[in-house]
Amino acid sequence: MNIVISGIGAVSAAGTNLAENIDSLRYGKRNAGPVSIFPSRLPYPVFEVKSLPEKWNSTGMRTLSLALAAVEEALNDAGLPTQLSGFKTGVCLGTTVASQLNDIDFYDSFRKSGSADLKPIDRYLKGNLAEAVSHSVKASGPAITVVNACSSGTDAIGIAVSFLKNGICNIAIAGGADELNRVPLCGFGSLGILSNSLCAPFDRNRTGLNLGEGAGILVLEREDFYIGRGKKPLLYLSGYGSAADAYHLTAPRPDGKGLESAVRSALSDSGISPEDVCFINAHGTGTIDNDKAEGAVLSRVFGENIRFFSTKGYTGHTLGAAGGLEAAYTAEALKEGWIPASAGFACKDDEIPISPVSENTEINGSFAVSTSLAFGGNNAAIVIGRA
Amino acid sequence: MFISGIGIVFTRGRGINSFEKALKEGWREPSRTGLLPAYRVNQEILADPSLTKKIRRADKFTRMALFSAYDAYMNSGIIVENNEKLGIILSTAFGPHSTTFSFIDDMLDYGDANASPTKFSNSVHNAAASYVSSVLGARGPTVTLAQFSFPFQKALLLAGLWLNEGRCEHVLCGCVDELNMVMEYVCKMKLKSAEDGIIKPFTFSASPSSVPGEGGAFFMLSKDKCVNNYGKVAGISFSGQMHGKPDITVIDADGMTGDETGYGEMANSGQTMAGYSPLFGSMLTGSAFSFAAASLMLKNQIAYECPVPDNSSGIKLCTATSEADIDQINCVKICSSEIISTIKIQK
Repeated sequence: MNIVISGIGAVSAAGTNLAENIDSLRYGKRNAGPVSIFPSRLPYPVFEVKSLPEKWNSTGMRTLSLALAAVEEALNDAGLPTQLSGFKTGVCLGTTVASQLNDIDFYDSFRKSGSADLKPIDRYLKGNLAEAVSHSVKASGPAITVVNACSSGTDAIGIAVSFLKNGICNIAIAGGADELNRVPLCGFGSLGILSNSLCAPFDRNRTGLNLGEGAGILVLEREDFYIGRGKKPLLYLSGYGSAADAYHLTAPRPDGKGLESAVRSALSDSGISPEDVCFINAHGTGTIDNDKAEGAVLSRVFGENIRFFSTKGYTGHTLGAAGGLEAAYTAEALKEGWIPASAGFACKDDEIPISPVSENTEINGSFAVSTSLAFGGNNAAIVIGRA
Repeated sequence: MFISGIGIVFTRGRGINSFEKALKEGWREPSRTGLLPAYRVNQEILADPSLTKKIRRADKFTRMALFSAYDAYMNSGIIVENNEKLGIILSTAFGPHSTTFSFIDDMLDYGDANASPTKFSNSVHNAAASYVSSVLGARGPTVTLAQFSFPFQKALLLAGLWLNEGRCEHVLCGCVDELNMVMEYVCKMKLKSAEDGIIKPFTFSASPSSVPGEGGAFFMLSKDKCVNNYGKVAGISFSGQMHGKPDITVIDADGMTGDETGYGEMANSGQTMAGYSPLFGSMLTGSAFSFAAASLMLKNQIAYECPVPDNSSGIKLCTATSEADIDQINCVKICSSEIISTIKIQK
């Protein structure tokens, strides 16, 4: 059973819809700046969504707002209504922040006085991402929220594909969403992996990552159901692979064996070989360890001439949203026949055998791969195909 | 899929034998050391030098996850030859929030630039699954799910998909949740607490009482029937529809998800019912523990006495621990009084 990508939605610092995002990639716009959505004295630049339409500004539920904006765009793109009660629809979304009970004011009040206003708890209980989106669109199938740190969005897409292939639903809303939040900003800062300047994935002089926020959503459908709606498929979610490093809580396995297993599993799932892949949208965070391990794996699996890039330089690292956003960009690039310059890359790192593309580049092929690596040693990859 | 191993950490100990002992011994008073009566997991249950030397910095949430997952793996007796075919699915409602609050303590006490990186990395939801994968050398798909509705049922559903697709030959699948002072406060403010410390699963109340609990319950699930077999998961439904009449229906009534009158409507159909939440406490992830009880009943062919058989409506209950001929058990959870999930397990 083939799985069609029938709709795409994207919200990030690069734009509040997919077209704006792609324009930012095309013209090299990097909309980063200091934190403005909460007080912070930390010096790290971030990629904030500055102009989320008022309709989506649900107070205190920013991640859900970002997700709902992208879901609506994706459903419109798929030619589906925004209320799906008449369909068998599953929802599988990745996040990090929306799953954490981390309201600082609530906790500060509790630890000072032993009591606190429970409104943040109510918001938290209503804000489970997949459950809230499922409720919003009146989906009748399973709703699963994946919290696999930075690979959450990619894993969520892979799980949604399993829903569809096993006939649990005909339509699936999949991807990820995350808001910029003070707790992970401090957390990543404490780990010493945030850059004081704009990130430079795979560059010799890279100094770390920038955090961002956003949502990337795919509408996926069983091919028979999609054709039954009178549509002609163009893009496919062809394969998914996932594997654990079983190595370390925060550092990727230096030999990249976990990522390699995930990529090879995704290729096998698609029934293709590495030579069939025309480009890779790499995880490419801009940290020393990630880019070194990932570059080695991509070179080993796909060879020295593979074309690849990272879009973290346009969006920042959007954590649970990253896999969703990057799947959206990968699908659109495959459709349009070009890939963007890997923002921030200027100098080859001699410790990485291959380099990303440094200018917008035409591509001609039928398959592309998007990779995600995460805290905890999770690795995930998807293959997107074009008819 | 087949249930080939079980591991449990709960208020009365660690391991499937401790759980079976509790099923035989029946109800015990919860502890009353916090804001409300609760079934807490004491630190001595989580002391195991052979495992903790590998996870020195791990928090309570991770220890409950690791010990229950490790024990499920060991209980199965399976030696997985291809570790890329061993998957892990950890499902939770609230995740490691104690460590998140500890990290926020650092932010508030020492400033945003001076919080502990160790606390942060352990506060990430998938840290526990990462420790499990590292300790067991499991290199298959590893995911952590966060759900308020049906966290165990959805994990089980996904495990079945992975096994069916051939992604895995075995999946360690389970649930973990912890209880700290903040969560006790939330429970006290948002739920009706059973001040007498007794969860009453068969009162079928519209506003039931709860006694919060914590712990971890994991299952080694296998594509093929293995030497140690508790039973077969024959179906998972979220629509309330399930074919075949069960010998026993285990309900997850524990006061955590509101209106429980729906269980009463089910009881009126005359089926034999059981409920074991008074042994381990009220948890959104409590279905995993009920599933463990049902699995033990199938394997041992014993119907365990309900620990709190309050039965004002005179329904048919397991009222004594005795040998029984059990072919099928349905594990039922009702959420928000209307959505019913049923897991059908067979001998």
